[in-house]
Amino acid sequence: MPDDPIYRLPLDPQEEVSSGEGGSFEQLRHLILAPEQQDLARLRERVEDPGLRTGDISAVLPEAIELRREVGGEEALGKALLPTVESALRESVRKNPTTLADALFPVMGPAIRRSILQTLRSFFDSFNEAMDHSFSLRGLQWRVESLRTGRPFSEIVLLHSLVFRVEQVFLIHKKTGLPLAHAVAPAVAMQDASLVSGMLSAIQDFVHDSFHSAQGQILEKINVGEMEVWVEDGPYAILACVIRGIPPPDYRQRMAEALEHIHRNFAEAMERFEGETGPFAGANDELSQCLEFRYKEKAGEKPKPYLVAVVIAVGLALAGWMGYRGWQNYKWAEFIETLRAQPGLVVTDFERIRGHYVIRGLRDPLAADPTELLKAAGLPLDAAEQRWGGYYALDDAIVQKRATALLRPPAGVKLTVADGVLRPEGEASATWAAALRSKALLLPGIRALDTSQLTDTDAAEFVRLQKVVEGAIIKFAVGSSVLNVTEAVKLEQLAPQIKLLLEKGRLLGENATLDVVGHSDSSGVETTNGPLSRSRAERVAAQLLRDDVVKSELQSRGVAASEPLRKEENEEGRQYNRSVTFRVRVAQSAAGAPSGTRPASPLDTPAAGNR
Amino acid sequence: MLLKKVCMIGSFAVGKTSLVRKSVQGIFSETYKTTVGVKVDNKVVRVGEKEVTLVLWDLYGEDKFQTLLRAHLSGTFGYLLVADGTRLATLHEAEALEAKMRQEIGNKPFLFLLNKCDLRLEWEIDDAQQADLAARGWEILHTSAKTGEGVEAAFQRLAEQMLV
Repeated sequence: MPDDPIYRLPLDPQEEVSSGEGGSFEQLRHLILAPEQQDLARLRERVEDPGLRTGDISAVLPEAIELRREVGGEEALGKALLPTVESALRESVRKNPTTLADALFPVMGPAIRRSILQTLRSFFDSFNEAMDHSFSLRGLQWRVESLRTGRPFSEIVLLHSLVFRVEQVFLIHKKTGLPLAHAVAPAVAMQDASLVSGMLSAIQDFVHDSFHSAQGQILEKINVGEMEVWVEDGPYAILACVIRGIPPPDYRQRMAEALEHIHRNFAEAMERFEGETGPFAGANDELSQCLEFRYKEKAGEKPKPYLVAVVIAVGLALAGWMGYRGWQNYKWAEFIETLRAQPGLVVTDFERIRGHYVIRGLRDPLAADPTELLKAAGLPLDAAEQRWGGYYALDDAIVQKRATALLRPPAGVKLTVADGVLRPEGEASATWAAALRSKALLLPGIRALDTSQLTDTDAAEFVRLQKVVEGAIIKFAVGSSVLNVTEAVKLEQLAPQIKLLLEKGRLLGENATLDVVGHSDSSGVETTNGPLSRSRAERVAAQLLRDDVVKSELQSRGVAASEPLRKEENEEGRQYNRSVTFRVRVAQSAAGAPSGTRPASPLDTPAAGNR
Repeated sequence: MLLKKVCMIGSFAVGKTSLVRKSVQGIFSETYKTTVGVKVDNKVVRVGEKEVTLVLWDLYGEDKFQTLLRAHLSGTFGYLLVADGTRLATLHEAEALEAKMRQEIGNKPFLFLLNKCDLRLEWEIDDAQQADLAARGWEILHTSAKTGEGVEAAFQRLAEQMLV
């Protein structure tokens, strides 16, 4: 194209018009170049006209800035724009400060407060420290009050330590005075949010107009008795908190934060508010978080060292005392159990009266001595007062003691009682056995007597002597009734035994008598043998009477050869039949004892089978 | 919940407070008190499927309280303009108030209530005057705070206008 001669020609229209030569050429040139010339003219106009140029630049400006940022020339752009932005902000503030203030409200507040909070926190820490000290004494007073009134300590603390409680929170649309959202603390009577919001707005208006306060300044606090209404102002809404008690100053910051948060999320909805509260349901969480409460219990969370020491000391003392009391109670309970286990002791009542123990009950005279048991248990004797009534115990152990005391068994006899049955064991005289039989069943607690293990020494002796006496044979010479020396000595030796036998018989209550029986052999005639045998018996009887062996309990008789001792087959047999023998006769006694022997009766019982 | 702020305006002793009291609480007070400043009450009205809570601002209408009145008017969705049928002066004052309202809050729905219709024989406002107002676009209702006549209808009608 640059080689084309046509393009090197000037394209001045004036020139074209003034030229007179070659009209057809000019015409051709015009036909070919006119569109180009028009474009060129248009472009020149756009470059030279500021209005059009601005329009062009505005179309690409955002993209251009974006491109500049991407290639890394951001700082230069910032620097270039800074004076402009600054002057723009200055201009905006000068014209209407509210616009910028409203726009910055949600972001500026937190930043400012954070730095203020940091400064104040250290101050509050030391302040709280001082408060803590002042509370410790009060804590003790509350404890005293709790003891005095009988109310739980926690309740007293609650009554005294409620610092504040936020009972209701209203989010009120500033322009209409209508409630956008409302939160109520538990157990607080709910008021009609729209009425409260309306009246609060009206009061705000009233105060604002009455005192001609500056734009944006509002009534921040209303006192109603022990209640306060705190109001926090925002561009579109106000936050009103109904508070019981005195809230901490930082609660206002809490309110401001909540209100800012709500403005961040709902500014647009609040601006367009037409009475429909539905879109603000999301603000309820924020309001609920404002329902704070606080108790003065901070002091209680950090108990003071001396208070801890006192509490521990009191606790230890209490534990020690309770431990000692517990141990004492245990010892006494154990002692009472020991008493109850004792035969012959019945504890009917046991109580503690003003540190003194009183034991009441019944005691058999033969039972163990409670005072001795008290000593053995290691308990103080003066701590117990004993009141015992007398009675007869029927415990076997006590009955055994009683039987032993009253029956006084001889050395060889042991008494045992089991299930009401008295069982003597060993050897005893008939005298004692007789006394036992007559007394045993009269003793309380004894229903039967078992003498199977008791040996009667007198009866045994009687039996033995009876055998000895009845086995003795005093022999005589043929036809004689004279005792020779040998037989006389034999009789003399037998005499004490006969005497003892008769004594034992009397002792045993047996009416024992002695028959002296004379015998003869069968030689000779009856008329001589009869008298001879009688003579022999009388001879021995006379000897016994003379020696004072027997008194009246003696009978002599002659039986001749009618009761031979041996068969007379030889001289020895005949010799035995020329003799005198003895028979002991025991009359049937009143008690029904069998004659001769007296074996111990197995069981003496007043009424067998009747228990 | 749909809430609408509604103002009640009108001259001294035209019966605004009694209208509200009759409607809201159903108790008519013969010896009503002069309203001072503002008193807020609720009135729940059903319009079709919707339930609307009218938050009624009972305003004192004297000129000397105009600045206060202006503040209270902020955000009003509609209003009840009340005059006493037995006092012609209150009609003129109502006309002036309506003009001020238009200036303050723009063209908002309103109803003109001619109160004390139980004393119709003593009325100083005649039908011609009312026809003249109607011609200017005013919607007129006759009410009686004493008998309750027209009161419910007034709240109902205003609510309908505001929801259009």
